[in-house]
Amino acid sequence: MSSSNRYDVLMHMLDHIDAQAKPALSDMDREPARWESSMQATCECLTWRGSWSNKDRRQAEDELGETLYAEFPHNSRQALVAAHALLDKGFITQDELSSKMKEVRERFERV
Amino acid sequence: MSRTHDHAPIQESEEISEFEVLETAIRELSISHGLFSAEDHRRFTEWAESIGPAGGSRLVAKAWVDPEFKERLLADGTEACKEVGIDWNNPTGEGTPSDYTFFYVLENTPKVHNVIVCTLCSCYPRPVLGHSPAWYRTPNYRRRMVRRPREVLAEFGLYLPPDVEVRVHDSNQKSRFMVMPMRPEGTEGWSEEQLAAIVTRDTMIGVAVPKVDWTASSAPSEALSSPSRGH
Amino acid sequence: MSKYQVGDRVTVRDAPTMFHTRTQAFTRGRTGVVVEHRPEWVIPEDEAWGRDNGRTERFYVVRFNQRDLWADYTGSDSDTLESEFSERWLMPAKEETK
Repeated sequence: MSSSNRYDVLMHMLDHIDAQAKPALSDMDREPARWESSMQATCECLTWRGSWSNKDRRQAEDELGETLYAEFPHNSRQALVAAHALLDKGFITQDELSSKMKEVRERFERV
Repeated sequence: MSRTHDHAPIQESEEISEFEVLETAIRELSISHGLFSAEDHRRFTEWAESIGPAGGSRLVAKAWVDPEFKERLLADGTEACKEVGIDWNNPTGEGTPSDYTFFYVLENTPKVHNVIVCTLCSCYPRPVLGHSPAWYRTPNYRRRMVRRPREVLAEFGLYLPPDVEVRVHDSNQKSRFMVMPMRPEGTEGWSEEQLAAIVTRDTMIGVAVPKVDWTASSAPSEALSSPSRGH
Repeated sequence: MSKYQVGDRVTVRDAPTMFHTRTQAFTRGRTGVVVEHRPEWVIPEDEAWGRDNGRTERFYVVRFNQRDLWADYTGSDSDTLESEFSERWLMPAKEETK
């Protein structure tokens, strides 16, 4: 069962989203972005190697997607719910995730 | 990549979004914590890039021209897929956690029209059809296809007489389904390749039937006919 | 030996669920006919992909008339819906009163 913990590192991401940038319905049939496909692969690997059962993942996506993360763009839910699960299970800490995101952001901006 | 000097909200379509950063962070932390390997992840991304509806189209076209293959396909979908180069055990050797390895083909007849949906979570036969269309995953489709299938089909432009049984398959467990549409009139003597070209993704979900006047490469935009456009 | 044979009429149990289940709410208490057997699987309530320590059970494909599922069904009388159920979620059809 997933918690309803509010993780600051995830909830603060709402501040970075342009409220107008919701995808148009015509975007619904577009090919997934590379990061979306990569996230899907990550979820499959987490299940494959035993960290997060399929049942728990589906349940979390349904429950958290409609509650805690309802305000986020639809295509971001899988990432948010996966991070949430890893935090719940204690595989990572919020500090670790924040630091890693900062490092990744800087790395991307250095290009 | 240009640096922005102010901190305007990030536009997802043009710049690297926060979610892309999150995705990378989750993946790299998972790998560094040994939850899976980079090789594991690469296997899944390569597999995801390799799938698409062409596999399903080949299955249907082959079944249309070869009655014995059709029997094998209906008797054991997973095994018959290997004959067109689709292996449901990829990429782990035991299938994917989302798709499993129990694949069944549903044959349309003049009396029965099949259509697939997953009300609980949008499962889809990815090894043969590739990634599900976004409309397939919406509550709109998932709720309405079981309750009002003929209305939803009508929105896709498909009308069936009342004496045809519309049979909705809700894939709530481990089975994955694909529809084998009926071969249309006017295709006598066509090659498998020509036949495969008219077997589009939507005909294998069951929201459309193959037409001889256009091919998959020049079909009316399937996004336009989706119910999520609010028609 | 499977408890239910193809052709048997079965009713989906309306059991309270303490945890996630894959038996849809709209099928609870509804009666349909068994049309096919499925392989034995680990039951969804015990599901942990790739593991063998869950309880396995027989599964069945049950076909319902849409008119029996939805009071306000607007399609054709011949329309049906099929889904899969583990044995524990089924019971022999209740006597139908006319």
